Amino acid sequence: MHTKIVLDEDHMPKKWYNILPDLPTPLDPPLHPATGKPLVPEDLTPIFPMELILQEMSQKRTIDIPSDVQDVLRLWRPSPLYRAHRLEKYLKTPAHIYYKYEGVSPPGSHKPNTAVPQAYYNMKAGTERIATETGAGQWGSALAFATQIFGLECTIYMVRSSYMQKPYRKSMMQVWGAECIPSPSTKTKAGTAVLQKDPETTGSLGIAISEAVEDAATHGNTNYSLGSVLNHVCLHQTVVGLECMEQLASVEDYPDVVIGCVGGGSNFAGISFPFAGEKLKGKHKETEIIAVEPASCPTLTKGLFAYDYGDVAGLTPLLKMFTLGHDFVPPSIHAGGLRYHGDNPTISRLVYDGVMKAVSYHQSEVFDAAQTFARTEGIIVAPETSHAVRATIDEALKCKKSGEAKTLLFNCSGHGNFDMSAYDAFYANQLVDYEYPEQLIRESLARLPKIPGA
Amino acid sequence: MCTIGFLVNPFAGMGGAVGLKGTDGMVEAALARGAVPRAPGRAAETILQVADIGAHFITCSGVMGEDILAGAGIPGYEVVYRPASETTGAADTMAACRAFLDRDADLILFCGGDGTARDVYSVIGDLVPMLGIPAGVKMYSAVFAIHPRAAAGIVREGCTPGGKFLLRDAEVVDVDEEAYREGSLRTRLFGIAKSPYRPGLVQGTKQVFEDSDEERAKKDIARFMREVIEGTPGILYILGPGSTTAAIGEEIGLKKTLLGFDAVKGGRLIATDLNEEGLLGLLEEGTSARLVISIIGAQGSVLGRGTQQVSPAVLRRIGRENVIIVATPHKLAETPMVFVDSGDRDMDLAFGDHLSVVSGYRIAQRKRIGRVEGPERTSQVGGE
Ligand SMILES: Cc1ncc(COP(=O)(O)O)c(C=O)c1O
Repeated sequence: MHTKIVLDEDHMPKKWYNILPDLPTPLDPPLHPATGKPLVPEDLTPIFPMELILQEMSQKRTIDIPSDVQDVLRLWRPSPLYRAHRLEKYLKTPAHIYYKYEGVSPPGSHKPNTAVPQAYYNMKAGTERIATETGAGQWGSALAFATQIFGLECTIYMVRSSYMQKPYRKSMMQVWGAECIPSPSTKTKAGTAVLQKDPETTGSLGIAISEAVEDAATHGNTNYSLGSVLNHVCLHQTVVGLECMEQLASVEDYPDVVIGCVGGGSNFAGISFPFAGEKLKGKHKETEIIAVEPASCPTLTKGLFAYDYGDVAGLTPLLKMFTLGHDFVPPSIHAGGLRYHGDNPTISRLVYDGVMKAVSYHQSEVFDAAQTFARTEGIIVAPETSHAVRATIDEALKCKKSGEAKTLLFNCSGHGNFDMSAYDAFYANQLVDYEYPEQLIRESLARLPKIPGA
Repeated sequence: MCTIGFLVNPFAGMGGAVGLKGTDGMVEAALARGAVPRAPGRAAETILQVADIGAHFITCSGVMGEDILAGAGIPGYEVVYRPASETTGAADTMAACRAFLDRDADLILFCGGDGTARDVYSVIGDLVPMLGIPAGVKMYSAVFAIHPRAAAGIVREGCTPGGKFLLRDAEVVDVDEEAYREGSLRTRLFGIAKSPYRPGLVQGTKQVFEDSDEERAKKDIARFMREVIEGTPGILYILGPGSTTAAIGEEIGLKKTLLGFDAVKGGRLIATDLNEEGLLGLLEEGTSARLVISIIGAQGSVLGRGTQQVSPAVLRRIGRENVIIVATPHKLAETPMVFVDSGDRDMDLAFGDHLSVVSGYRIAQRKRIGRVEGPERTSQVGGE
């Protein structure tokens, strides 16, 4: 029985899978933030290259991966799929647990799967510099890595709490030649406004996005790049699920349950969209697809399905998605990459339509699971990833009770080698179990003006 | 130079060992039962560690302070009060504090229990910061350091040249010792003192970038609760005692009493400082009401303690689901568990295993509820 299922390089996917044409309900169109009218591609050209804009709205079921992009992805792809024998034994579960390990990429997570094509299309379009935001620093370091390969400059607005917590992520960005700025900053109007209101803010992904978008929109040679949330990002991540499908087929298995943690949704989309596609096409109707989020930022489990901005300042298009409100600043949990008020519109739609479901966990619960995982499988996962680990362990324990030998698959989206301060806090009993006081928040919003289109 | 008013209640904590639960008015009885004073030893533990900081100590003669300062070799201390008898009492503590006030002390460092804290506070109020070296039987008040050595750390931080005390609101809780000795804990919020603290000791982990300013945290909670209250104009809100709930009142623009239960509806203050009867009167059949209370004192206690007015009858009318608990992250960081003691077992159990505590703007924290069962319940949370 295999522990590690590896694909040969020439089995790396040559096309991305686009789920949009297979959706049961078409997505509501993104709206222009000023007019409230559906976006046209030209609206996005100040910040995105045309190729990515077309991918965002494409109805083609597959899209070719450029061979220059494939060459770079081959540095670590195909990534290994593991069978978690030791974890299974430890849990005494009849379930088969598989995990796709994306921590083998140079920056240590799934993020370069999209950073590389995004940098590539920008280079092709003549962009000189890319501005972006980063939460936990995973995305920032991934884009720094990718822009450096294609000879672009890169400016990264890093959420202030993470900037303090994870100095080595910032160092990595420097090694790969990018500039990293704590957000909110005084470099942008959006950042300055937040600082004026609240000089001691911990920052948030929503604020950092505002800064990066503003930077790109106000500099002719600069484009913006987003590491999650958007459809083209999720599209690029489908290499993960496509590889899993082939790897599992090679051991004659198929998942009953597919699990991933959700910040903006990209790693979850990456592993789940190919399987969701099969489900939608009626081939594997019973596959359960589970998104896992923090109890402190429970977008899919407690948010509203409505049009909202992607950022705090309201500069981005309005997206129809599950949202906790674009002005919600989530508490500083250690899984910085999951501190986002919204979610990818496609995932939102699929959860709304019942094709996927979502669960949430508290911080101390997920670190407990991460410890179990590290002590059985060895890998010390990122705090974000620990959410997926927790849900997988709970599913495996359910199998133990029911005696079912289900096949579980989760996306082990990144390693936690730069997140050891979070583990330290866990051992010092200092993890705060933040929650989202849902009912009170709904009541508090009762008197607020509605956003356009909502 | 920093002037520290130092006093010891030599008999604090003595009752505990001989089963008296508190020593107020019981000194003779405790001595007769063979109790040995323990406060001097605790106070010395602190003083030995601050002997070199160059602060100016003013104190009381003999067992109330001087003996310890002399023993620790503190140079240049000054005796500013002399008790009349060896069996010192509350009047001596208060008189000493008045002398400290006259000499413009920057900090009152006292060793004792809740009774001593109450006596100190009754003289100094929030004019001068106070810090307790824990030695008493009961320490529900939030002015106590967690350990004599922790007290020394706080004093060092504030008194070394260039240093500064970081201050926060700390509840002084009054415990009915008579009732306590009978096995029931009845407390009331006596006042809110200023107390120095070290963010490092309070804040949880250094790695998490948290705000060190507790006042700001109170404002965040208040801003959120104002929006909730404004979003539900039909609901009667009863705001409990304490500075966090007072901040909510202030945010709405109302003059809430600091220590009492006040009622707010439709943006107006409709009653203040309600007792049980007053509360029941407001909570007629069919009234939709919510109780907003904070965690009072140092032991994580919710309801019951410090909130006698909210009897089980009042709580039943309001309903468990309508109790909103608020507390700053700073307070919660010091409170690994919360204790619900409403005086009604079924009601306590209705709170389940966890409590959701509003701790910021649109943010709550989940806290485990500690269960204190049976007659020994007081000793388990009694802090000794
Ligand atoms: C390791 C890891 N997993 C998951 C995420 C969450 O992002 P997404 O939902 O886009 O996968 C992040 C984001 O920073 C991450 O670094």
